[in-house]
Amino acid sequence: MEDVIRVEGLSKKFSRYRSDRPWTFQDLFSAAGRRSLKRDEFWALQDVSFSLAAGRMVGIVGRNGAGKSTLLRLVGGVGKADRGRIITQGRIGALIDLGAGFHPDLTGRENVFINGVISGLTRREVAQNFDSIVAFAELEDFIDSPLRIYSMGMHMRLAFSVAVHIQPAILLIDEVLAVGDHTYQIKCLERIVQYKAQGCAILLVSHDTSLVSRLCDEVIWLEAGRMAAHGEATEVVGQYLVEMEAENR
Amino acid sequence: MRLAFNAKRNNRLGYLYDLLHELVLRDLKLRYRRSVLGILWTLLNPLAQLLVLNLVFGLVLQLNIPNYTLFLFTGLLAWNWFQSSLYAGTGSIVDNRELIHRPGFPAAILPVVTVASYFIHFLLALPILLVFMLLSGIPISGAFFALPVIFAIQFILSLGLIYLFAAIQVTFRDTQYLLGVLLFLGFYLTPVFYDTAALPPQLQPLYRLNPMATIIESYRSVFIQAELPAGLPLLLWGLVSVALLWFTAHVFQKANYRFVEEL
Repeated sequence: MEDVIRVEGLSKKFSRYRSDRPWTFQDLFSAAGRRSLKRDEFWALQDVSFSLAAGRMVGIVGRNGAGKSTLLRLVGGVGKADRGRIITQGRIGALIDLGAGFHPDLTGRENVFINGVISGLTRREVAQNFDSIVAFAELEDFIDSPLRIYSMGMHMRLAFSVAVHIQPAILLIDEVLAVGDHTYQIKCLERIVQYKAQGCAILLVSHDTSLVSRLCDEVIWLEAGRMAAHGEATEVVGQYLVEMEAENR
Repeated sequence: MRLAFNAKRNNRLGYLYDLLHELVLRDLKLRYRRSVLGILWTLLNPLAQLLVLNLVFGLVLQLNIPNYTLFLFTGLLAWNWFQSSLYAGTGSIVDNRELIHRPGFPAAILPVVTVASYFIHFLLALPILLVFMLLSGIPISGAFFALPVIFAIQFILSLGLIYLFAAIQVTFRDTQYLLGVLLFLGFYLTPVFYDTAALPPQLQPLYRLNPMATIIESYRSVFIQAELPAGLPLLLWGLVSVALLWFTAHVFQKANYRFVEEL
């Protein structure tokens, strides 16, 4: 199969947040502001390389701050790599920050259109998929009510449903599979598996190691921005868990 | 090969148009959804300004400008479009953090959304302007065909300025406050409620340096004199605006990657 994602020697540098960084012109022209202009940098990702073929799913595990979300965003084209390069092919779908652009005062219908277009669909494509989006979210009775009356679960279901209707070649998922009740979660996971079967390449960031080893073909373990391991899913997840437990002891 | 490329480009343009459409619609819906007066709210603000300024400069300190109500309303509508766009547009990147963080979301569209939304407010107020024209006995002339050109120049000028300010606003969050002060001054330095013809002759060349002076005077030729606006100053500012937009759009695109990290 052809690779749809190729990441080569990717490194990303961040400036550590400093409270004395000048946030305003006022700061800049005061003595405190000038002092902080020198930057305090660290590597969020260092020399990360992997490739992913269509229809494959890779899980990314690692502790908080290991660079998992940063990697996902960079693959999605958000932000710029300092070294290395990322080559992707086809439409990228993202189950990240679900419901971007949702507004409580607009109806479900209006929000589906806005969110759908923001996610990369044209208006015509949203219209064509509209019934299916509403059906998948199980919100037929509420679609013309304003979003503010929706429960948290309804809100998430609608957002998730729009996101899985954009038919991407690459799907990026960041810890958002916990949508709705247990039955609905199963429905969401089935949808993901179905996408994979249709040839979608999937990157999944999750702390749920059992989910990762169940769904993914391979796993990348990130440790302080570097790849600690990359290989067959259950094997890498096993190594990761052993290390985590050793630390807890 | 070439065909495929063109098709891709057309798709992209079609998509960007859809995105603009949805975001502008969202802006307008949110503004009017929960108000009984609905669209009238857009008109209330310029009408209130019109009332006050008309009282002051039409009755108390008489400026003796013919058709003063129409003169004033033209200036106010054009200036309000400019001022509101610049102010809101400057904050448009910082205010839409979640959109900026979406994979594939083109940040450069946000300032366009702002200018387009306020342009629609301008258009919605035009019928009232036409009523004022009717009351003053001014005919709707062929000069109206010049309107799209003036609209386009003001649009491009506003957008060109916003790209610069919005990019700076990401790094320095008091840019918008500074701009607010500048716009307040701009209101008085632009012939919104007065006529440059009444100013001392040595001051008049300075007004040629203010693009909004040229633009507002062009609207007035169409709406009040029923004549085509002077072509040369409009053409010059048109060219300057295009050059400005070209330059600031580049600066904005260069800074684009930084937005994600700073927001």
